[in-house]
Amino acid sequence: MEPVAATVYPNYDSVGRAILEAFPIIDFLPVWLVALVIMVVVAACAIVFILVFEGVGSLVLRKLAGDIQSRVGPNRVGPYGCIQFLADGVKLILKEDLKPAACDRVLFRLAPYLAFVGSCAGLVVIPFAVGMIAADLDIGIYYVMAVSSLVSIGILLGGWASNNKWSLVGAMRGAAQIVSFEIPVAMSIIPVILVAGSLSTQEIVRSQGGLFGIFNWNLFHNPFLFFSFFVYLTAAQAETCQTPFDLPECESELVQGFMTEYSGIRFGYFFLGEFGELFVVCALATAGYLGGWHIPFLDAGNLGWFWGNLLSLGVFLTKTFTLVLVSMWLRWTLPRTRVDQLMRMCWKYLVPLTFFNLLGVSLWLLIFDGKGIPAMIAALFG
Amino acid sequence: MGLREYISDISEAVVTIAKGMRITWKYGVDPKEETTIFYPEERMVMPERTRGFLFNDVARCIVCNMCVKQCPIDCITLESIKGADKKNVLTSYKIDMGRCMHCGLCVEICPPKSLVHTDGYEGSSHTREELIVEFVEDDLATIKARIAAHAAELAKAAKAAEAAGKAPAAPANPAGGEKK
Repeated sequence: MEPVAATVYPNYDSVGRAILEAFPIIDFLPVWLVALVIMVVVAACAIVFILVFEGVGSLVLRKLAGDIQSRVGPNRVGPYGCIQFLADGVKLILKEDLKPAACDRVLFRLAPYLAFVGSCAGLVVIPFAVGMIAADLDIGIYYVMAVSSLVSIGILLGGWASNNKWSLVGAMRGAAQIVSFEIPVAMSIIPVILVAGSLSTQEIVRSQGGLFGIFNWNLFHNPFLFFSFFVYLTAAQAETCQTPFDLPECESELVQGFMTEYSGIRFGYFFLGEFGELFVVCALATAGYLGGWHIPFLDAGNLGWFWGNLLSLGVFLTKTFTLVLVSMWLRWTLPRTRVDQLMRMCWKYLVPLTFFNLLGVSLWLLIFDGKGIPAMIAALFG
Repeated sequence: MGLREYISDISEAVVTIAKGMRITWKYGVDPKEETTIFYPEERMVMPERTRGFLFNDVARCIVCNMCVKQCPIDCITLESIKGADKKNVLTSYKIDMGRCMHCGLCVEICPPKSLVHTDGYEGSSHTREELIVEFVEDDLATIKARIAAHAAELAKAAKAAEAAGKAPAAPANPAGGEKK
């Protein structure tokens, strides 16, 4: 049996060895140390990226809310309020970190980190560009599904440790909602895995190349996949607790739900985690359905290392940010659902639909020998 | 729940979401929809008949006391003394803006229309006493001096009229002669 590690794309050990060969001055360092340094650098890049995304994303969210609600939005810090997020960040860091007297101290401190780590760990398998991925795990999708359930543990811990009724109710709602919606999210991404024949995110993106880099997207593969994409977006909106489904933290009834007792940077971690999750689900939707980093009318693989990576990164981020914007747009459109409506939607509508989609896609792949509609049309024209 | 109902539920959800998103799109892309007025920097133009804070033009006030009598909550107080020409002269005209309910009855009743509503609405203050607005700027001594000067002037005019012979009595101020 072949070693599984061999299939992981950026093999940090070999990269470390290559660097040691390139720079003989640091030859005395062990390979594992160099590899570790590279890993830390990659992780730092990912964290910096997600923090910037969260800052700018929160500003865009508020500006968009202003536009949609005929207001202006943040407009005091910098021109058009464009550095408001820095002020917010400074405020969050400097604010007093309150702890309720009767809280469970250890769990109370632990919860925000779990939520943050759970949402941002998904970044590891996001295929940013042709050769840009922190680790191309061959169980990529499975990994994301697994680590993102850490968020529900964080929420549950936070609500429980706060020793507050609002927090507890919010946490129970959050846990129930996230656990329920994991199923439609996972089930609506499985058709993509079927088409690509792999769980690796990079492999899924690669399977969508060709046909001008647009028409081989999984979105257009067949009607079931087209439908599945929107089911995924809906379920992802609920899994990340975005507004039509933000029951764990609904302000009007539960103050802030599981975040009621949190302030300062601990609140900030929950907040960042939420945005990180938003990015991860949108990036997964891009990779799974919208052709990932495939550049329209160009082959990213033939552009050379630098331009290929740069252009495909730009394309990937454009697609992802468009989805993020759509998610925010949806967020400011719909009012919050009730708990029973939410659960009903999940169990009675989304779950059966995803199973139906899965069946449909499986049959399609079986009958048409894995070819999508655009590929068949292209075959007609030779 | 039949299949038909199930599918109609789904299609209804899709249609209503699309409808809602079309509305928010319309508002989101149109910058003219913004209704915010940047308050401290720019102000709303108030409508013509705004009942803002009251203002009394003391120069035109005839001290008829009508506003004081009319005020349902007695927020107007005035004090006056007799002037040189036997007309009353205001020494103090106070309106308690904290109590005024902007009913406008005093403005309606005011015979010389000296009491008016302005379009002012920014009247915050730190104490309640600051809300009692005094419209007579001069203090009592100044007013008394002015009345005395006026009286002296009138007396002089009357004397001049007398000195001018039995000229037809000035109908302007028969009172002035009496004062002498």
